[in-house]
Amino acid sequence: MRVAPGEPLQRILDRVPPGATVRLAPGVHRGPVVVARPLALVGEPGAVIEGDGRGVVVRVRAADVRIAGLTIRGGGGDLTALDAAVFVERSAARVRIEGNRIESPAFGVWLDQAPHAVVRGNRIHGDPRRRSQDRGNGVHLYYLEGALIEGNEIWETRDGIYIDNSRRCVLRGNRIHDLRFGVHYMYSHDNRVEGNRTTRTRTGYALMQSRGLTVVGNRSEGDHNYGILLNYITYSRIVGNVVRGVRGQRGHATGGAAVAGGEGKALFVYNSEYNEIRGNLFADSDIGVHLTAGSEDNVIVGNAFVANRIQVKYVASRQQEWSRDGRGNYWSDYLGWDLDGDGIGDRPYWPNDAVDLLLWRYPLARLLMHSPAVRTLRWAQEHFPVLRPPGVRDSHPLMRPPPLSEALS
Amino acid sequence: MSDREHDRGTGLSRREFLGFTAAGAAGTALVPASLLSRPAHAAARAKNEVAPGELDEYYGFWSGGHSGEVRVLGIPSMRELMRIPVFNRDSATGWGLTNESKRILGESARFDNGDTHHVHMSYTDGAYDGRYLFVNDKANTRVARIRCDIMKTDKVTVIPNVAAIHGMRLQKVPKTGYVFCNAEFRIPHPNDGRFLDEPDKYYTMFTAVDGETMEVKWQVIVDGNLDNVDTDYTGKYAAATCYNSEGGVTLPEMMKADRDWTVVFNIPRIEEAVRKGKYTTIGDSKVPVVDGRGKNNPYTLYVPTPKSPHGVNMSPDGKYFIANGKLSPTCTVIAVELIDKWFAGKLKDPRDVVVAEPELGLGPLHTTFDGRGNAYTTLFIDSQVVKWSIADAIRAYRGEKVDYIRQKLDVHYQPGHLKASMAETKEADGKWLVSLCKFSKDRFLPAGVLRAENDQLIDISGEKMKLVHDGPNFPEPHDCILVHRSKVHPRKVWRRDDPFFAETVAMAKRHGVVLERDNKVIREGNKVYVYMTSVAPTYGLKEFRVKKGDEVTVVVTNLDKVEDLTHGFCIVNYGINMEIGPQQTSSVTFVADRPGVHWYYCTWFCHALHLEMRGRMLVEA
Repeated sequence: MRVAPGEPLQRILDRVPPGATVRLAPGVHRGPVVVARPLALVGEPGAVIEGDGRGVVVRVRAADVRIAGLTIRGGGGDLTALDAAVFVERSAARVRIEGNRIESPAFGVWLDQAPHAVVRGNRIHGDPRRRSQDRGNGVHLYYLEGALIEGNEIWETRDGIYIDNSRRCVLRGNRIHDLRFGVHYMYSHDNRVEGNRTTRTRTGYALMQSRGLTVVGNRSEGDHNYGILLNYITYSRIVGNVVRGVRGQRGHATGGAAVAGGEGKALFVYNSEYNEIRGNLFADSDIGVHLTAGSEDNVIVGNAFVANRIQVKYVASRQQEWSRDGRGNYWSDYLGWDLDGDGIGDRPYWPNDAVDLLLWRYPLARLLMHSPAVRTLRWAQEHFPVLRPPGVRDSHPLMRPPPLSEALS
Repeated sequence: MSDREHDRGTGLSRREFLGFTAAGAAGTALVPASLLSRPAHAAARAKNEVAPGELDEYYGFWSGGHSGEVRVLGIPSMRELMRIPVFNRDSATGWGLTNESKRILGESARFDNGDTHHVHMSYTDGAYDGRYLFVNDKANTRVARIRCDIMKTDKVTVIPNVAAIHGMRLQKVPKTGYVFCNAEFRIPHPNDGRFLDEPDKYYTMFTAVDGETMEVKWQVIVDGNLDNVDTDYTGKYAAATCYNSEGGVTLPEMMKADRDWTVVFNIPRIEEAVRKGKYTTIGDSKVPVVDGRGKNNPYTLYVPTPKSPHGVNMSPDGKYFIANGKLSPTCTVIAVELIDKWFAGKLKDPRDVVVAEPELGLGPLHTTFDGRGNAYTTLFIDSQVVKWSIADAIRAYRGEKVDYIRQKLDVHYQPGHLKASMAETKEADGKWLVSLCKFSKDRFLPAGVLRAENDQLIDISGEKMKLVHDGPNFPEPHDCILVHRSKVHPRKVWRRDDPFFAETVAMAKRHGVVLERDNKVIREGNKVYVYMTSVAPTYGLKEFRVKKGDEVTVVVTNLDKVEDLTHGFCIVNYGINMEIGPQQTSSVTFVADRPGVHWYYCTWFCHALHLEMRGRMLVEA
């Protein structure tokens, strides 16, 4: 069935037989609408469903509904009321929302306990005229299972994808930029986050209070504060991700300098144990990895730490070994050598040696990096290891950065 | 611990090491002077050092969490000065065992546990007045008062009709006044088994207790639930956070809303409703109950607040309630003057009272103040304290390009409450700040699987926050207040007419006993009253004789009038011990259920002949 603008869309949706395809002709169709029967609502190029500026534009109530190819806009901006362009209710299992252009001052797509949703290939845009905290999330997953969120572009919303109390979901190949948190996790276990890309966010991947995550092949480029944040993440794999250029907050009050304590961290590992962190690249950031709150018993090997201002900020009173079976990580500031040419440095790498600590506290001392005093210090540490503060040791540093594909295979 | 770690433990600390290296390098004259700051400082006294014999500048009053007690620390030394048993049983002082403490605990003496979260000092005109401390019990729905002249609990009130008193704050102006109590958990009413499986019938209430009489004055039914609370500096408003606007009973159900709310209570209007009889009562309770539910309620204002907000804190200038976003990286700043406008009907949207919503970092839980316009907020997920400017946050909310964040400081780990010196009064002085961290992880020598909490002291007197001390603490302080020592005046010895033991004095009078002089045994049927004095190193009675099955009440009066000369009274194999401070009278009642010779002895080391300070209870078969 084909519907022209001006025809009573809601009445048509309420009367078509289950399983029908309703095609919307180009032009503006007045919303809001409620989809209470299993059907496909498909837009021809140029088809728009426009709300009346309040509430939800398309509310999906029935199972097996497909919403595709539409521009959906004109919803309300009330976050308290959970206003959204598309709101999927609990009864709407297996919804498919594909290839739409969504403009929303509040939420883009809100998935409310609806299992096995597919949100794919949509472009979801917030309203940059509103304050960040007054916008909604691009895709919000609440208390559900088995969603696939794939290949969407999300920008200028509050957070990109917010996943709350939801399990066995896949977030794959989404492009998220210019917003607060790219992927915002809270208490969601056994999910896969794969091949996404975040840019210019105020945290690329905020993974919190969750276990059993697979985080592979994602990119974070030019994000602020954190590239990947792991807070109380356990039994998870963080493999083959690329995090570059995470810079901290820079403010007017500080004359554009970094706010003290607000340094950008490519990877933040906090109260997180029993994870595998392998084959990632952490580069060009204020801090490569900040590991704290007893984040021990993680396997951290085969990663490349390249040209971070501080490679490792390790806050703990116990020693950590970051190599496994004779292979450690690649460190761009490793000063050792490989006489036997096996690709493994012949002396350990200590990212937290006292010289690093000195440089961390007194950045100006960097000017003296190659001064005889600093060289004397390093020499002293080599020969009198008791001077070395507790920290990270990589006994088998790699001489070359491992190819990412190696980690992903 | 591995050998390597062990070796490391005997090595130099990071700080010492840095000092060493800097100094060593200085020998070659190649390191700039800025690197020498540590050794240079090492010679001077640390600001937080309180040398032996010196006194701290501040009292710190700490809740003890599920230990059920309140603790007193000295600030900045962080030395523990005293523990005040409140809802717990205490072996040292006999709290929960003595007749005096049982009278205070009342009907709830049957519980041995408590869960104290928030301890606050009474106010007069927005400043601490040193009369009382008040503290909540989440475990058994109580609130207690501590007299600051003796640092003993003197009243315990069970809050009726509700469950789990969590947030608790005091009226600041004109004085305390009300003690406001948040019942956190929603329950059915009446909660007598009729309604178990109908969560939509559950609700909870906000309770006002009179801080002078400790009587429950009124309750207000609310939507959602109640978490933390604070009060303003006019005496008109209290504001409480709600993280369960959904009314859910499972974790996911409580997390759905993007915004829950901060509910503001209009105290004069509630009082007026109670005066005019616009209330109901619940079950047998006589407490007036006002209905504060619904959007356009005359008694309440629900301000939508992202997301599952936790702490709420009043700025010392009296202008703003700041609700801490917990699951939102923001704090919501609510202007008191706009609350006036709302209740005057001049605003349309409850969000119109919000004047700023700064993005501070992950997991904001609580905020405190330095009296210089800065706020300090704990970030649970970032494990940091963030210092920010309230005025700049307001400008940013209006659209100005201004950075309101001044500094972020790592704390270790998972900070909950934080409190700056005098920050809860109009005399906030911005010298010290304590961040109460929930995890210590590796910050202390491990002493078992159970790890201490870590209360960290931060110097906030300068431009930059400086972490100066790690303070281990037994589970689990939630909150504290830092009170200048000029506000607190504990007694050296007890007053003989102290109401704490007045009932025991009255009993003695009925028996014709002069407590300060007499040592005698009075029998009334199978009830035996044993009166004795104590003067180090002797009790007034070297022995007393009772029969098996007698109900025995021992009353000891400590006649020593010397500072710190406390006696104990412990009966071996009878499970009895109590504190009798100088000039105090304490009593305990028990059944002499086993015949034989039972020595009693003094437990406080009081004298060179302390070990000889004992006597015999002779129980005839």
